[in-house]
Amino acid sequence: MAIADVKEYTHLTAEEVEQLGAELDALRTEIEESRNSKDADYIYKMIRLQRGLATAARITLGVSAYHRRTRLPGAVVGGAMLGVAKILENMEIGHNVMHGQWDWMNDPEVHSSNWEWDTAQPAEQWKHSHNYVHHQFTNVLGYDNDIGYGILRMAREQKWHPVNLGQPLYNAALATLFQWGVALHDLDLEAIRKGEKDPKVMKKQLKQIWQKGRRQAVKDYVVYPALSGPHFMTTVYANAAANVTRNLWSYVIIFCGHFPDGAMHFTEEQIEDETRPEWYLRQMLGSANFEGSEMLHVLSGNLGYQVEHHLFPDLPSNRYGEISVRVRQLCEKYKLPYTTGPLHQQYGQALRTIIKLSLPNRFTSGDREDVMEGQMEVARGRKSAEELGSRRPETGKYAAAAS
Amino acid sequence: MIGTTGLDERPRDPELGGPVPYVCEDDDGRGSLRVLSKKRVIQCALSRICAVCGETLDHPLVLLGTREELDRMEFHVPPVHEACGEAVSAAVVGAPFGVLGQDGPVERWVLVSTGGFEHERPQRFDPDRRPRFRPNKLLSTREV
Ligand SMILES: [Zn+2]
Repeated sequence: MAIADVKEYTHLTAEEVEQLGAELDALRTEIEESRNSKDADYIYKMIRLQRGLATAARITLGVSAYHRRTRLPGAVVGGAMLGVAKILENMEIGHNVMHGQWDWMNDPEVHSSNWEWDTAQPAEQWKHSHNYVHHQFTNVLGYDNDIGYGILRMAREQKWHPVNLGQPLYNAALATLFQWGVALHDLDLEAIRKGEKDPKVMKKQLKQIWQKGRRQAVKDYVVYPALSGPHFMTTVYANAAANVTRNLWSYVIIFCGHFPDGAMHFTEEQIEDETRPEWYLRQMLGSANFEGSEMLHVLSGNLGYQVEHHLFPDLPSNRYGEISVRVRQLCEKYKLPYTTGPLHQQYGQALRTIIKLSLPNRFTSGDREDVMEGQMEVARGRKSAEELGSRRPETGKYAAAAS
Repeated sequence: MIGTTGLDERPRDPELGGPVPYVCEDDDGRGSLRVLSKKRVIQCALSRICAVCGETLDHPLVLLGTREELDRMEFHVPPVHEACGEAVSAAVVGAPFGVLGQDGPVERWVLVSTGGFEHERPQRFDPDRRPRFRPNKLLSTREV
């Protein structure tokens, strides 16, 4: 089955697919050409707000710990402010800066090359596992390791294994320890298990993860708590609460991006010889939005506009709201599904999938009748660099010349 | 993250002597300054690593290309470090055959610096089916 056979858009002629692509290209050009100082003001305001919150949180935690009456309220307020600061830094600032959304400003500090975020995963490894593997191979089974993060069975096409019975538990652990799960994400544990990982790369990656993880741990569990003197542990607990809050929140937002009902999975055959409009279609059909207030969108890094983010990963996040109006109109015009709903509904659907797919397909019903377990058995984990290369031969005459 | 570290660990091109960029190599390790691997071109551009040494880029970004590519504002080699761009350009200038994915010998090479770039995926009817990179904050241009 080619991607052009995906039933959600078989009603479109080849010309209509091209036309849709041209309309999306025009939308992208329009936003690129209208990026201006107002957009820059937005991200600088967000960075100031985030740094103000983080500083206020650290001071509150440090100072309030010395007085018996302020210790507990200080820990609660300081921990909450720190949690929000970490959420803003990871979601609206770090994730988007590392995509290069703000590189056009030419500010060396707010630049995809230089940003290092407040979480355990090294920026360099995130830019590989997320910007490249996830965004290039979005929702392609066997390629995109974000499908269940290599731990959870999230598509009916994936082969069931008795280990999957524990999915609800693994899911809870993943959510709570999300930053550490993400930290190991680019290592590709499945490749290590199969003995396919380049030992040189693995050693370099492990060293980088160790250094970054240690820096994060020392910062939150040694240096800042030391400011609270004898009440060191109060600040340790508050910082741990802030980290767990950020973990749970980013996990929920990320799981709402591709796992609610309606977000489709693809197979490797479907992406061979994919054209730009087909790439757009795969990004649209594989992603899911959620609705909510402007504050909700800021706190989720504008990933409630997941469809728009996947169409245009490098456009500034503050513009996704206006882009979504136009994308939705295009979906209506071309009679394409546009998956969205309230956050609780979208997460509820993702959670239901996690629980349902802990069982073999024969015990549960699917939202798509055309998928049978084992019909397309897809191995867990992601393809090695070599496999990705040989599977994607559209390298034109230059790749041919190299071989 | 790639297996080699820095410019010095890159293999040498047997014909031109310069370092073989990460984007000029296949996954089986065979590489030549003559060719570009489309898969690696996309990998470098999206994961924002240097197309030559494979390490995280710095600011500003540098694009190595031909005068014609600059005129069209469409480069085929994704961004590199300045030092990496200089090392590769030193090897390819004057090459009597096509290098870095070019069809034939190139008369004028340029190194440009930019704040950012746009990634252009090829269209169905493009005669050139390779990804291209368009500087979106051109800072400087020089011939090499
Ligand atoms: Zn380099």
